[in-house]
Parts: sequence; structure tokens; C-alpha cells
Amino acid sequence: MSFRDRPIRQKLMAILLLTSGGVLVLTCAAFLAYEVVTFRQTTLKNLSTLGQVIAANTTASLAFRNEGDAREILSALRAEPHIVAAGLYDKDGRLFARYPSDLPVAALPASPDRDGYRFEHADLVGFAPVAQAGSARLGTLYIRSDLTAVYGTLRLAGAIAALVMGASLLVAYLLSATLQGTISRPILALAQIAKGVSERQDYSVRASKVASDELGVLTDALNQMLSRIEGQDRALRRVIAELERSNKELEQFAYVASHDLQEPLRMVSSYTQLLERRYGDKLDDKGRKFINFAVDGAVRMQRLINDLLEFSRVGTRGKPLQPVDVTRVLGAVRANLTMAMADADALVTHEDLPTVVGDETQLVQLFQNLIGNAIKFRGTERPHVHVSAQATAAEWVFAVRDNGIGIAPEYFERIFVIFQRLHARDQYPGTGIGLAVCRRIVDRHGGRIWVESVPGGGSTFYFALPKQNGEQAL
Amino acid sequence: MKAVFLFNFAQFVDWPAGAFPDSTAPLVIGVLGDDPFGPYLDETVRGETVRGRPLAVRRYQQIDEVRTCHILFISASEESRLGNILDSLKHRAILTVGDSPAFAQRGGMIRFVSERNKIRMRINVAAVEAAQLTISSKLLRAAEIVSRGEP
Repeated sequence: MSFRDRPIRQKLMAILLLTSGGVLVLTCAAFLAYEVVTFRQTTLKNLSTLGQVIAANTTASLAFRNEGDAREILSALRAEPHIVAAGLYDKDGRLFARYPSDLPVAALPASPDRDGYRFEHADLVGFAPVAQAGSARLGTLYIRSDLTAVYGTLRLAGAIAALVMGASLLVAYLLSATLQGTISRPILALAQIAKGVSERQDYSVRASKVASDELGVLTDALNQMLSRIEGQDRALRRVIAELERSNKELEQFAYVASHDLQEPLRMVSSYTQLLERRYGDKLDDKGRKFINFAVDGAVRMQRLINDLLEFSRVGTRGKPLQPVDVTRVLGAVRANLTMAMADADALVTHEDLPTVVGDETQLVQLFQNLIGNAIKFRGTERPHVHVSAQATAAEWVFAVRDNGIGIAPEYFERIFVIFQRLHARDQYPGTGIGLAVCRRIVDRHGGRIWVESVPGGGSTFYFALPKQNGEQAL
Repeated sequence: MKAVFLFNFAQFVDWPAGAFPDSTAPLVIGVLGDDPFGPYLDETVRGETVRGRPLAVRRYQQIDEVRTCHILFISASEESRLGNILDSLKHRAILTVGDSPAFAQRGGMIRFVSERNKIRMRINVAAVEAAQLTISSKLLRAAEIVSRGEP
């Protein structure tokens, strides 16, 4: 898990610890650097002071060659334990006295080097001139200081720094572990609430406000949002329930109305036919023509009612969706359309067709309406209808292509609206319900339907059905 | 070696202001009687300065010849006349140095003593103070201090 995906608690802790740790490291580094520099300087200064004092005291010893006196003076160096060696050289560079007195001569330089103090390996060494004020030089003092004390002190300083750093980091950790809660806890609470809302769609919960800072503002905003959503959700549910109820009523009404209309219509139709059969010879031509008009109107009304019933049944008499072999569907369609196909000498071809999730009866009706339309709106050539299917990531896209009269682009949408007819009744018979039924069926399957066409160049009706299907509420 | 010591005394002894005619006058090291140093004394002081003053070496046969002088080595050849010599130098700011026995006890200021091939010094502090000379404590450290009457 990358840092950006870690919980806010850990991020806050990491930020706090990194910040304090960085500051501590810098501070300790500065402290140690200061210690090193000052300690070296101090050591150098101390040694040079000591060297000057000893050199000044040994002038007479050198001048009058009193070794015992020189040794005595040098032995005062015992007071500084880190002075490990000292030597006094005469004017000619010969060793005159040494400290400690039992030091091997080889441990001291054979002859004095140039004056001054310098760091040599782990030691600080110095050569100081021995001279009486305002007079010629009498000799040289060599002095060597062991820096283990210095490094020991530095190690101690380092250990203290490490200890302080460790303790500070621990304190920082404990503090941040406690203090980060003031920021992370309200955020976590908010996140919990938001998660609960999105998981359970329960808009009645409210976040409790801890403080009036930005998080408090966020909490208030969330609560306001929640109450607004809750209100809207309630209103929406009410509207949906209302819509569902009225839709159902309407469907019921349409169904009942269409169904009940058939009875009187059948009566009109039968008695008109009886009238014609029994009293046809007693009527003149005009009378028989009127009866024909009446019969024709009754038949058309019958068809209209049938289509309306069909349309309303898509919603009310639908079967559950299940796997359907489209090739079989097409076989049923072919059987239903035998007459129309024979009349028009129509050719219906298809490619390999898949199995989809759907309502078989409705899919039969869908293909039947589309292919029937393709035959009905044929041009001068022999009608040829071709059915194909193509898979996309989530859908099956079916195409029903014909070589009929085609549709002008401005009608591409209108044709799917109920009772919309593009042609006069005497030109092409029909109620204007067929494509509306198609759209309703595709809608119920959660798909889309559209058309591509060039007037005079044939039409292709496409509809897409989702591969994973859940029934859509109509 | 004694010649070098004579020169070194110049560094560790302060003379009163009146001992020098002016601020650049040389510091005079005198030898009374037979000179035991040969060329060494001249060689030792050649080119040296002490507190800005050049050094000069004079040799005297008679005590009357001693005029401006700051360090006077009284040779062993003068031992018989030592009492007179020291008397006549009394209260003059001259550091008297010698190597005859009991030199310090008789009123001389610094006596060289040879001990196991090393040269030690005995200093008569009372005589030094009487002559208004100041000896550096460091020189006193390196020497043995005696007073008149002690052996």
C-alpha cells in the first residue's frame, strides 16, 4: 500500500514524526558540530596557554642549564592528565628535559619542528618558543596532548544527543498519537457516516459536531446535505410511487378499455355483416357501399384495439427474463410471417445469432414487427431483410437491414412514438403502434433502439440488449 | 659555558633606570683581572641584543677603570683584592659575578660552583638588593640562595 492510500491516522503520525525527527536531527547535528568545533578550539587554546606558561617558566632552567629545575617545572603537567608527553629542547635543538621523566627518548621528536600547534593522528602537538621577554630564543618546548579525552567528550555528547533524540521522538510519538486524534477522529467519524449512508441509503443519520473548526464546517455541510438528500429522497420516492400507481392505473385502464371495447365492436361488426347477408338484396348499391364502410371501420377498429392491447401487455403481461436463443426466435418469426413473406416474395437471411437474456414472446414480437415493417415498406425491388448481431463489451447489438423505401433523418426519432405514421393509410396500412411496441420491449430489456437510413436506400434498425440483464422498471 | 651564563644574566636581571646613559646605550659585561673566557665571551654576545640594547664586552685590570658596567666578572686572579673590590663597588648597580670560594659570602652577588661537571650558581640576595638590582624569580629558582656569613 503506497503512502497516499494509508489511513489519515498513519499519515498524520508520519508527518508529525518526520517533522519533529527532521528538526531533531538537524538540531543534534548542529549541536554536535558546535561541540566538535568548540572543543577542538578550546583544546587548542588550552594547550597553547599551557605551553606558554611552561615555556615562560623554563627560560631560566634552559639559560642556566638546570635540568632538575626543568624537570620539576615540566612535572607540573601531571595536573593535566591528557598531556601525555613534553620535551624541552635547547637553543641547538638538543633534548634537555622530558616529561614524564621515564619517557623513552624515542617517543619524543629528535629535534624541534616549526613553532605552532597542530592535530597529528589522535593527538594535538605543539612547539612553543622558549625565550625571556625581549631577548634571544633559548630553546623550544614540545608538548603533546592525547585527544582521547576530547573524543570521549564528543562520544558522550553524541550519546547524549542520541538519547535526547530517542526520548524526544518517543515523546513526539506519544504526543502525536494522542493529538492526531483531534483531527483524525472527526474525519474518521465523517468517513464512517458517509460510508454508512452510501451503503444503506439511510439518509436519516447525522454526524455529531466536535468543534467549530474546518471539520466542524464540513460536518455541518454534510449534515445539511444529508437532510436535503433525505428530503429529496422522500419526495422522489413519493413521486415514484405516485407515478407507478398512475402508470399501473393507466395500463389497467387501457387494457380494460381495449378489452371491453371489443365486445360492443364485435356486436357492431356481426350485426352489420348479418344485415348485409340478410338484407343485402333489398338494398341499393349505395346502401351496400355504406355497409361496406361500416364493416371496414369495424375491422380497423378491431386491429387498433388489438395493437393497443399488445402495447399495454408489454408492461402488464411480461414474462421473467431468461436465456433465449435468438435463432429460434427468428424461426418463430418466419413462421408467423409466412403469408406476408410469400405475398411479397421476400427473402429473410441471418448470420450466427447469440443467446440473450430476455422475454422470448416479446423478442419474437420485436423481430416480427421490425421484419414485418421491412417487408411492408418495400421498394420496387424484391424485399431482402438481413439480421445480424455484434458483441461489444457489455451489449449485443442487433441489426435488421432492409432494401426498402428508407426514412428521412428528421423522422428517426418520431417513428418510435405511438400513433406516429409517416404515410397515408391507403398507401401503407397500419395503426402506428408497431415501432412504439418495439421501443417498449427494448426498454423493458434495458436496451436502446435506433435507426439508420437513407431515403430510397433502405433502412437498418439497430437495437442493443445488455449481456447481463436485470429487468428495468417501465 | 660560564660565558653563556654571563650573557644570560642580562636577560634575568633588571637594572635601575639610572644605570644606563640613554635608552639605546649598550649593556656592558666587564671582566676584571685575567680573562678566563678567551674568545668565547665575545663570540657569545656578538650580534645579540637584550631588551633592545646591544651588548659590549670590556676588560679591566684595575677596579678604578670600571666606569659604566652592568655585569662584572671578577676573575680568580683578583681573589686577594676581593674585599677591596667589592667594597668599592658597593651601592653601584653592578652585578658582580665570580668563581672564587666564598665569593658570595664575602659580598659578591653570584658565584659559579662546579658540581659533577655542571655549573651551579649561588646568589647572595641581600647584596643584589643592596645594589638596587632585581633578579628574576626564575633565575633564583635555578640557583642556590646564600646570605652573608653562611659558609
